[in-house]
Amino acid sequence: MTRSNLAVVTVSLLTLLVAGPARAQVADGLDGFTVTGKGTASALPNRLEIDLEVSAASELSADAIVKYRDAKKRLEDAFATLKLPNVAVEERALAVDQKGQAYSPYYMEMPAANKGKVEVQLSRKLVVSCKDIGKLDEESLLQLVARLLDVAQDAGAKIGNATEYNPYYGRYGNGSNALVRFILDDFDALQEKAYEAAIVDAKARATRLAKLSGTAVGRVAGVRELKVPGDNVSPQSLMQTIVAYEYGVNAGQDKEAPHKEITSDKFQKIPVEVALQVRFEVAAAAPNPKATTTKPAGGGQ
Amino acid sequence: MLRIAIVAVMFCAAALSARADDEEKKISNDRPDRPLHMPAASSETKEAFDDFDRFARRGAWERATKALYSIAEDQAGRFVDGKDGFIVPVARKRRDVLSALSPEGQAAYRLFYDSDAEKLLAEANGPKEQETLERLYSSYFLTSVGDNAADRLGDLYFEKGQADRAADCWLSILRERPDSELSPALLTVKAALALARAGRGSELEALRPDLNDRFAGETVTLGGRKTKVADLIQGLKVVKEQADDTIPRSADTPAPALPESVGAAWQVRFGDSVTAGMTPEERAQWDKSPLSNAVPAVTVQGGKLYANYLGHVFAIDLTTGKMLWRSASFHDLEKLANQNQMIATNHYAVLADDAHVWTLGRDPKNQSYNATSPLVCRRAETGEVIWQSPDLTEYSGMEMMGTPILAHGTLFLAGRKSATETSSSSNISFYGSSGNQHQYVMAIRPRDGKIVWTADVGALRDGTRYYYYGQADNSPQPRLIYRAGSIYIDTHNGILARIDAESGAVDWGYGYPTDPVQNSMSRLIIINGMLTQSSPSSSAGGAPLRSGDALIFKGAKSDRLCAIDPDRMALLWERPIAKSARLLGLDDEAIYLGGPELGALDRKTRALRWSTPLPGGSDDGRVIARADGIWQLTPRGIFEVDPRTGAVRRIFRGDDDGSSGGDLILAEGLLLAITNRAISAYPLGQAPGGNPDGAAVSGKTTKEIE
Repeated sequence: MTRSNLAVVTVSLLTLLVAGPARAQVADGLDGFTVTGKGTASALPNRLEIDLEVSAASELSADAIVKYRDAKKRLEDAFATLKLPNVAVEERALAVDQKGQAYSPYYMEMPAANKGKVEVQLSRKLVVSCKDIGKLDEESLLQLVARLLDVAQDAGAKIGNATEYNPYYGRYGNGSNALVRFILDDFDALQEKAYEAAIVDAKARATRLAKLSGTAVGRVAGVRELKVPGDNVSPQSLMQTIVAYEYGVNAGQDKEAPHKEITSDKFQKIPVEVALQVRFEVAAAAPNPKATTTKPAGGGQ
Repeated sequence: MLRIAIVAVMFCAAALSARADDEEKKISNDRPDRPLHMPAASSETKEAFDDFDRFARRGAWERATKALYSIAEDQAGRFVDGKDGFIVPVARKRRDVLSALSPEGQAAYRLFYDSDAEKLLAEANGPKEQETLERLYSSYFLTSVGDNAADRLGDLYFEKGQADRAADCWLSILRERPDSELSPALLTVKAALALARAGRGSELEALRPDLNDRFAGETVTLGGRKTKVADLIQGLKVVKEQADDTIPRSADTPAPALPESVGAAWQVRFGDSVTAGMTPEERAQWDKSPLSNAVPAVTVQGGKLYANYLGHVFAIDLTTGKMLWRSASFHDLEKLANQNQMIATNHYAVLADDAHVWTLGRDPKNQSYNATSPLVCRRAETGEVIWQSPDLTEYSGMEMMGTPILAHGTLFLAGRKSATETSSSSNISFYGSSGNQHQYVMAIRPRDGKIVWTADVGALRDGTRYYYYGQADNSPQPRLIYRAGSIYIDTHNGILARIDAESGAVDWGYGYPTDPVQNSMSRLIIINGMLTQSSPSSSAGGAPLRSGDALIFKGAKSDRLCAIDPDRMALLWERPIAKSARLLGLDDEAIYLGGPELGALDRKTRALRWSTPLPGGSDDGRVIARADGIWQLTPRGIFEVDPRTGAVRRIFRGDDDGSSGGDLILAEGLLLAITNRAISAYPLGQAPGGNPDGAAVSGKTTKEIE
């Protein structure tokens, strides 16, 4: 491909990129009242999770398997002996890779390795999950968390997600020091309340605009979800995306099946937030004497 | 036709690839990527051996032997590749290749060299007797008088107490000179006596059938007295003078069992002394400094514990926990926290006998980039300095390292020094170059510090010292052990070498796989420790373990666990293992490993039996490994592990909160926990806690393994 061809392709792509949003703008239009309504309902988390990692590496794959198997078994046995009905150890994906062979952006190369020598590394993320924590008072919850952390550490598990080297920050881990993740995943009823509140909020905003502009709010012409609870992009995955883009490396992505939950590093009431974009039609209303004296310059909002 | 050509090309490529792989695996003293090279023979010497091989294959005996004798005498102590990964002196290789000659070749050889040998033997008198006999033994062993020379040399060695070398002389006559006219009964008896004294049990047992059946009725003359062989060998057994690291099954001390809840009998909280009076900012600075994680090196002798904490030496009475003396106040350490990032906190050592304490380690107050670690001898009673290496000129330029050992009244210690210059400044090396440094082992007279001998183990290719970038030298330290009249040094740089403890002569080296020398480009960028990604085990190379006739060792940067028979110079077995693993101990059934996790290898199958991750791993620190349990100090307390299954039997939290783990020592009825903050002594319980067989095994023998 010649330089001129490249230029043509680049310009075409840019044109497409610029043209896309323009068309969308036209389609959105300014017909009626388009407002954003927000609704919030909050509740204490109902579950907590602790991330653990078991990993084992060795020159001989058989050794790595024994190490990995023993480490995992000891961890599972340790939690089993607790005999806590609400506590479960869930397994995440198993990774089989080569120890110490991560790309180093500073050296712009793979680390020096002995030719043909591969140290096999098996690692798996385990998640200790404890449900129904909303029923516990703070003291009981602290006792429970301390117990779970102690058991995990005594079993030799690595707590948290701090083992991956992060070339973007030049350090290990994702910057968060939280050991426990508090989760609200039983929030259907709360979500309904938040949606209702968001619609009410939208209607109130539209009514205000209508009142100021001397018109009346008509029926709802369209609704778009701007913020839906449980669909957040975590800062960690955002950071991983940046790393992957900057350096072409995949810093420990742990893809899990999508599930709906709201997480917090702190034990507090977790807000279930909904943001809706609602478009109301302009209703044909009785003429407003004030509105007739001050004729609006344009239609719409 | 085309198909045949393709197949042929593929076959050639596969063959070349296989050959390249073999070359890759082959350990050779000549490989440029090896980090340590034993003093290599000249290329002319190597060519002489090649010429010998070529001419011997053709049956050109005169030219073959002439090639060997073209080797200059000063090359006799240089090293060439031997068999099975061993690197041997030229003299030994010359004797080996001559011994391997065919009968026809040997006859021709004697024709050419008998007269020279006889002339030399006649000159072997007076002060030069040993030297001449050694030359005969190495160069003319196969001549008609070579056996006589070897026999006389054996007598000389034996009289000097070098039983190991004496045994080698007599055994070589028995094995390689079946034509010898010397009395086989006398030679066998002499060899057996020397083997017994040298502690070489299996070789002694190999001679026993001959002694019992073939020569029992014969009479031999030893020391001018005629004695029957049967009488001489009655009750002959190996002198158990040298240590064996195999954990015995019999008992002598109780297990380090601790009652369920017990406080420390006493504690010396030196960490509090350092941090006393610090402002919060100073405390934060101290906690960030690597110095705050330093665990003192300790040793126990005569009811006292001696510690070397970052160059501050102190003694503690084990009964009372009272500090008896200390060399300096701990307060000054806080001032150094920000200035001494490059100090390797685990490069401190201490050793003691009843009257003296020897310490090694850099003085943190010395801010010089090229400061070395002085060796200091103090009185055990008062801490008064008797002598120190900076005052003795013979230590000039020597950078001492590792842990000294005391054997047969001599102090042995490893060191590095520039081979060409003697001033201390010559040790500076930048950008990862070794600065032409050599690895040495020294024998030192303990009372006055006089160096008895210095043995050159080899030239280092990789210095890994980055003074200008504020990174500590975390390279693994060489480790020494004494065994049967020899010092063994695991350089942790790809060579295990044997040195005669009496003379300092380097007998041989064994080359094991290790990390190749890295080019400086990939190691240049070190800015304030930002990219410090060194493994925690990078400096945790252990000492070789002695087990019967075998030595078991693993280099800190090696992915192989090796067992060799050092007396027969044979590789017994080797096994791939994670580089991060380290040796902790062994018993009849298992070899215990540290590293990211504790583990046990089956001694018969060499399969990994179990693996147990502990908090903080098991990368460093002394672990107590016994037949009835394994005890390790972790940041979360003392963990007791079942050696058969690896199950954690119990956890004793103790009084060492806030520490980062450390060493455990069992001494004087106390379990001593040494951390970066305190030394705690816990009284022992009656039986191993949690062990169902506790009562039965409570008295098994202790073996503390560093």
